[in-house]
Amino acid sequence: MSQLEAAAMKPNAHVTAARAIPYKKPLRKILYPYLFIAPFSVLVLVFFILPAVATIGMSFTDLNASMKLHFIGLTNFKRIFMDYNLPQILTHTAVFAILSLVISMLFALVISIATQYFLKGKVSAVIYRVLWLIPSIIPSVVYVTFWKYVFDPTDGGFLNRVLAGMGVISEPLSWFTKGAMAIIILATIVSTISGGMILLSAAINSIPEDLYKAARVDGASEKSVIFKIILPTLRWPLMYITISDLIGFVSSYFFIMLLTQGGPMRDTTTLSLYAFQQAFNLKYYGYGAAISMLVVVISFVLTMLLIRLFDFDQLIKPSRIED
Amino acid sequence: MSTSTLKKALVQTYMTLFTLPIIAMIVWYFLAATTNFTTHEFSLENFAFFKEPVEYAGVKLPMIWSIVLNTIVYSLLIVVIEVGISVPTAYAFSRLDFKGKRAAMKFLFLMRAFPGITLIIATFFILVKMDLVNTYLGVILVAITGSLPGRVYIMKGFFDEVPWDIEWAAMVDGTTRYGAFKKVLVPYVLSGIGAISVFAFLGAYGEWFLFKLLIFNDDMMTLAGYLSKLVTKENQIINYGLITAIGLFYTLPVIVFYIFTQKLFMKVNMGGAKQV
Repeated sequence: MSQLEAAAMKPNAHVTAARAIPYKKPLRKILYPYLFIAPFSVLVLVFFILPAVATIGMSFTDLNASMKLHFIGLTNFKRIFMDYNLPQILTHTAVFAILSLVISMLFALVISIATQYFLKGKVSAVIYRVLWLIPSIIPSVVYVTFWKYVFDPTDGGFLNRVLAGMGVISEPLSWFTKGAMAIIILATIVSTISGGMILLSAAINSIPEDLYKAARVDGASEKSVIFKIILPTLRWPLMYITISDLIGFVSSYFFIMLLTQGGPMRDTTTLSLYAFQQAFNLKYYGYGAAISMLVVVISFVLTMLLIRLFDFDQLIKPSRIED
Repeated sequence: MSTSTLKKALVQTYMTLFTLPIIAMIVWYFLAATTNFTTHEFSLENFAFFKEPVEYAGVKLPMIWSIVLNTIVYSLLIVVIEVGISVPTAYAFSRLDFKGKRAAMKFLFLMRAFPGITLIIATFFILVKMDLVNTYLGVILVAITGSLPGRVYIMKGFFDEVPWDIEWAAMVDGTTRYGAFKKVLVPYVLSGIGAISVFAFLGAYGEWFLFKLLIFNDDMMTLAGYLSKLVTKENQIINYGLITAIGLFYTLPVIVFYIFTQKLFMKVNMGGAKQV
């Protein structure tokens, strides 16, 4: 029998065998999938689940530089709500997250509609998209130097030099004391736009060309094409970007740390940065953990929202090979 | 001129205006790195860090070449480990049946959205207890755990796209499930593996936070950690020439790398959009 014939015979043989005796999986085969996910599971257990549990535990202690654990109950949480910095910090967090999200989303929308609809297929469209990707590719430590230079408070700074050159100002302005939050939001959105832009561009790209043609034949204006055809297809990507970016903005403080380290005073301190500062600058690890818990709760609510929004069961496909 | 060309010209103008700041930024990096700030003339003196250790605002940093070596070793290690772990995991999630798969998938999604950074205080303590602070092993373990869920997710998308017939055919021809995985599926998803390698590399190359937090020896720094020392030293940078010169030296390889892998990068992101 040739190999080809053997191959043709086999599936039938398999089917009859399966029908004849009720098939019981040997233990080796049951364990088999777990071998594939074992390294991942171990890492997740030690560096994700364990820290999560430890954060909860630490938040009920007054762990500090002396590194001794004392259970102090809810004192940390009481302290958070008594903390006179808290209203200000929560406001900063909300302002930072919401403004960054709304502005970056708006720009991502405008750029992707411009490059995928108005300039579709043009070389210039590709160039614009590639240029917009650059801020997100440049490593953040290098990226922030540009913004530090633009808003440098000495007369060597870019804005000060331009404004002095135009005769608008005579003394260099210290931008960071006046508008630190605005600078941080600006730096954040310029580097975040590309992420949303890619997702939205892909979604717009998947709209069949015929739809536009049909709309044009029917005499639709550009405005109605955008509002009636493009925007409805962007519903899911927009929702996805909203929640995932929001979680990112609420919890991450990397740009803030590099640009202002939370200063001047506490003007740019967000909740998660405050947790970091309490733990690693002031060595109030317990209190820092308690503040982290607050961030976790906020992020968790947002994440659950995300999970509810996306239908999971269709993502999980069962195996189609019984072995 | 027809109205449609006029409209296109208008859009082009707006887009050019939007993009100008980014072009200005790119130009600035090159100008600042190659200009003497007092004489405003072209000079390469900012690149003296190639030959001698940098001393800046009271911080004395080691020779750059050992740092470059650290960066390369660290980034490649991260790529190897992340690929080695995420590919089998994604395969299991995409193709195998096991108890708890549904819950595990949900957990994976939760982890991908969950800000791991909020756990950094407790993670720090676990590392202290495990005696892994100030070691590469500690940084690597924390870094890969943070990024693995995303990589697994991308890889799962690639595995999902492979037609089942291919796997069936291989198994009919007499290979085992593992054989089919190794000989048929892995070659089929090579572009996905390429993509997550690129992501892993870029992520590792840019990592500064974990180095700042967990590594205390300057000579163990990577380029990103090294630059973060210079950038966060004071709020106001005095010597932009030096920092942009090092920054350019650090960024250019990534940009070149990116240009070569750009198609793959875009394709994966597009794929990511579909999976959502």
